[in-house]
Amino acid sequence: MSLPHFEYFAPRTIEEAVALLAGAGGRARPFAGGTDLLPRLQSGLVRAETLVDLKRIPELCAIGFDPASGLTIGAAVRLADLLDSPDVQRRYPAMTDAVSQTATVQIRNMGTIAGNVCNGSPCADSVPVLIARLAHLALMSPRGERLLPIGDFFKGPGETALEPDELLVRIHVPPPPPYTGFAFAKLPARTASDISAVNVGVMVARQGGVCGEARIVLGAVGPVPLRAHQAELRLAGATLGARLLEEVGRLAASETRPIDDLRASAAYRRDMAAVLVRRALVVAATRAGLAVADAAPAGDATGASE
Amino acid sequence: MSQKPCIGVNVPRVDAWDKATGTAQYTDDLSLPGMLHGALKRSPLPHARIRAIDTSRARALPGVKAVITSADLPRVRYGNWRFSPNTQDEYALAVDKVRFVGDPVAAVAAVDRDTAIEALDLIQVDFEELPGLFDLDAAMAEGAPRIHEETAGNVSVTREIDYGDLAAGFARADYVRDDVYLMPPVSHAYLEPCSSLAQADSLGRITLWTSTQTPYIVQCLLASVLGLRENEVRVIKPYVGGGFGGKMELRSWDVCAAFLARLLGKPVKFTQTRDEEICAGRRRHPMRLRSRVGFTKDGLLLAKELIVHLDGGAYNSMGPTATFLVGNLGAMLYRYPAYRYRGFHVYTNNPPAGAMRGFGAPQAFFVAEGQMNEASADLGIDPIDIRLKNAMHPGDKIRGFATIGSCAFTECLERVAEMSEWRRQRREMRPGRGIGVGCYSFVTGGNFNWFDTKYPFSAAEVRAYADGAVHLLTMAADIGQGSDTVLQQILAEDLGLRLADVTLYAADTSLSPKGDLGTWASRVTFMVGNAILDATRQIKEELFKVVALKFDTNVVHSFECKDGMVRVKGRPEKAVPFGEAVAMVQSLRRGEPLIARGSYTPRDMGLVAPTYSFGAQVAEVEVDRDTGRVRVTRIHTAHDCGRPLNPQAVEGQVEGCVQMGLGYALTEELVMRQGRTLNASFLDYKIPGALDMPGIDSVCVGGPEPKGPFGAKESGEGPVSPTAPAIAEAVWHATGYRARRLPITAEQVLRHLETNPTANDDRRVKP
Amino acid sequence: MPHVIRLQVNGDRYEVAIEPWRTLNEVLREDLGLTGTKHGCGQGDCGACTVLLDGRSVLSCLTLAVSADGGDVRTVEGLAQGRERLHPIQEAFIAGGAIQCGYCTPGMEISALHLLRRRPRPTEAEIRAGLAGNLCRCTGYAKIVAAIQAASARMSDEPG
Repeated sequence: MSLPHFEYFAPRTIEEAVALLAGAGGRARPFAGGTDLLPRLQSGLVRAETLVDLKRIPELCAIGFDPASGLTIGAAVRLADLLDSPDVQRRYPAMTDAVSQTATVQIRNMGTIAGNVCNGSPCADSVPVLIARLAHLALMSPRGERLLPIGDFFKGPGETALEPDELLVRIHVPPPPPYTGFAFAKLPARTASDISAVNVGVMVARQGGVCGEARIVLGAVGPVPLRAHQAELRLAGATLGARLLEEVGRLAASETRPIDDLRASAAYRRDMAAVLVRRALVVAATRAGLAVADAAPAGDATGASE
Repeated sequence: MSQKPCIGVNVPRVDAWDKATGTAQYTDDLSLPGMLHGALKRSPLPHARIRAIDTSRARALPGVKAVITSADLPRVRYGNWRFSPNTQDEYALAVDKVRFVGDPVAAVAAVDRDTAIEALDLIQVDFEELPGLFDLDAAMAEGAPRIHEETAGNVSVTREIDYGDLAAGFARADYVRDDVYLMPPVSHAYLEPCSSLAQADSLGRITLWTSTQTPYIVQCLLASVLGLRENEVRVIKPYVGGGFGGKMELRSWDVCAAFLARLLGKPVKFTQTRDEEICAGRRRHPMRLRSRVGFTKDGLLLAKELIVHLDGGAYNSMGPTATFLVGNLGAMLYRYPAYRYRGFHVYTNNPPAGAMRGFGAPQAFFVAEGQMNEASADLGIDPIDIRLKNAMHPGDKIRGFATIGSCAFTECLERVAEMSEWRRQRREMRPGRGIGVGCYSFVTGGNFNWFDTKYPFSAAEVRAYADGAVHLLTMAADIGQGSDTVLQQILAEDLGLRLADVTLYAADTSLSPKGDLGTWASRVTFMVGNAILDATRQIKEELFKVVALKFDTNVVHSFECKDGMVRVKGRPEKAVPFGEAVAMVQSLRRGEPLIARGSYTPRDMGLVAPTYSFGAQVAEVEVDRDTGRVRVTRIHTAHDCGRPLNPQAVEGQVEGCVQMGLGYALTEELVMRQGRTLNASFLDYKIPGALDMPGIDSVCVGGPEPKGPFGAKESGEGPVSPTAPAIAEAVWHATGYRARRLPITAEQVLRHLETNPTANDDRRVKP
Repeated sequence: MPHVIRLQVNGDRYEVAIEPWRTLNEVLREDLGLTGTKHGCGQGDCGACTVLLDGRSVLSCLTLAVSADGGDVRTVEGLAQGRERLHPIQEAFIAGGAIQCGYCTPGMEISALHLLRRRPRPTEAEIRAGLAGNLCRCTGYAKIVAAIQAASARMSDEPG
């Protein structure tokens, strides 16, 4: 590997980092895991004159949980740190599923969830669950901090709402609402640890014996991770059964806008969106304490994990 | 005290300690004082005339020591098929035109790698783009532009085989299949990118450390390109991180490193990037195979016609061999009373294909085994039974080119059937699961002298010393398969020594005895092993003389080297320690050391190989009917490799073959568009990982091969072929989907299932 | 501008002046002469360059050396304690035939070490998941998985 030349700073505070990024006039890049940034710098897809390393900023390396405000994940928290967090393990099982199926051990030991978000890749595995969780992103710039719903963050492949002088500093994930279940499912493109051809994060809320609010977020089937609103509406107030989930899956698939690429065709992605939605909903419903009539148990590596 | 045998046992690899501790040095690990770093400027276009190259800006970059183009190099074409000089079609740097994306155009040497790479961007090449030919039909079309001026029609090599009465065979046939199969290009994906380090002495003689599987071939061809004598080039193979056929030629960076080292008087190293490896390294030939095959209604083969077009890419590379081998292998495994083969090696503007593990066999057997499986279904004969009816047996002859020696194919089939509980599973497996079989045969070494070597095919020098130590010198190239270990096992066993008594000096053309053709065609254990036995026979002859003399041995007795002693057979008390016996010989020779040179060249053994391996493999799969995804859950494999000299090493070869075969079946393909490789990284060229691999039950079947050293024949390549057809058949068994192209993608299976959701379920009985 | 960084590698302290764009893989191999750590793809896809950094397995080809300043690195060269005392993982790889060409071996061993420290008795599935980031083209992984099982048994028997 041969990297282009750049300057490197490792500030100790968020303010310093923000000042460095702002001072470089868009020619600086924040840098944490580097697992995505370095290959892109090498191939020329991304240019940067300055890298600002976030890993030396203690606040950005912290994971916090508070029953009232939920989970806060610093921008330099690595994927592996999340998996090790008892709070995440206990309260955010779908996030654990998503992160544990992201890339490989080494990448998880290096890469951050914030990086996964900021890359703006439509197939990022940790994003659908964060959207289903209604996470917020804390974006800091010299103008101050703003909180953006993660659903508004993605603008296109590799494009986000991040301003050139802004830094994602924290991800806020609300506390688990009562009577809800979340789930993640991914279909790796070819081999078992491959990038997702399709991934999905869902939420099912239980309201008595029926489904209350539902959220369905699909990755790798559009320019950004997509909410399947019609499918969500179809679920609201419905009694869950295999036939309904089939229908919801199809509905969700019809809301996707996939493309053909090396990893899968658009048509296959659309069809798989239906399958994964169905499977993930079974898991989420079970986690929410809702029975699904006549449903086959969720599949293994290619389906939703329990 | 009797020693443990060295043969037939799981001796740990002699290089394992080095490799486990990080001590082992591969070419890119080497550096020399003052060393410069090289890089290649490669063509961004698939087919273009070079109008001009301006290197001035690159030369002006501080740190750049030289920039060369074809104008600087002697205009000598090279290629492995020295036997047919007209097939030698490659220059180290493109002359006048480029023929594929990645064709090297210029080379830079600079003080460090970053500078060399920076300089590449400063080289301006003025190209005039020419129409590109990316598929077989376009390349062979009338009036198609010529990729090489000398080759009209772009077909560079043809091969024909005919025997038996084909027309009569098909006329008699009750059942004829006529299928076209398309096989994809795939990458060797060895983990070590190619690297070369060259140093020149004051007279311009070259020492080249290079990741190669054929030091001798590199030596000869490099000398010819540089205008040196063969023996003014010394090639040393350090540890090599896998080759699988992809490192058996002289390559552009070898030439550029050597030329620049001579030019600049400094060592120069070139190391390929993974992107270069995948885009412009060699690859397995994509092929279109049309096969027509006739059976009686009882499943007996009557005739086969195989017409194969190989997409060779821009240069011949090892294509001539591929063109021969597919045809030869197409006639193997079963008894075909009549056979017709037509092979065409076609130039295109794709990256050149070359030799790759099981050369020609994965394609030939995917077709043969696929058709056998389809015939079995149509004729209502169990796949294993129909194979048993047609299986080759020892002593079978293929007219004109091969005689089968040892052959335990039938036993292999019976054994995998037993291991996999074939008959029960085939009947009772639940829907969504499937079981299938695939088989293979492969050459143990090649008989054909395509390199036109003037030396024996293999040679070994054995030096026995009075201190009991023995040195083995050979040009055999261990590229990871374990030959360094097995060759020492052979030597130690034959001289009755411990492995620790033997030191190997291998793969240095200046020290090793000439010659050796290198590591390919699963030839090393067999050919170098036989060369070692030729040398030890001479050593023993000398040792036995002195022991005979010492004990005034009765002429009816014979001698042996065993347990560290040279002794009278059956008279353990009449024994001399090995070293002492050597000392006695040396003394009698007035100080001349006991050194013997042995060699092996296959003669009068047909056109193809001295002997052949055989085997059968069963794959079990599970298909997710919602996604079409195939998961291989178990592989059972039985291999006739003669006598396994190191069973653990054989098993390792078989397991590695299964991984490569599984990738070929399900996940690997170089995706091409207009001559460009779109998936030039391991992120998108997917070789199976640890999670993708099923459990593998592997057994060796069959007896010793009489021609082989201690009964051995090949084990490193044959087993790469059966996995894909076995998986394809298992997928059919599970879903009814017949794959006639690879890889089998989840989407293909899913689309089939959509229209045939319960296909094949009715073929099963409820357990 | 070069940065002066401090690294502890296999227990030895180093101070090196490096440009910020150089990777840990380059610094280990070129500046410190520790060529046991391999370079297989340079893009984080093959795992041949895996080392432990502060106890975690990371890809040295995607780690900026400057960002590892002050870090504790363990490479394949630091597994054995002298010629005679190999690490149980190394012994198991050798005895179990888990090494062929050897190019993936250093990274595999480091990944195995990372796994076994976190999960001393992993299941086969956990071992395979733990190796998902390490490609091997020779062995089909069978003997590597078995060697890690053997090493796990031995390391649990002999703590320390």
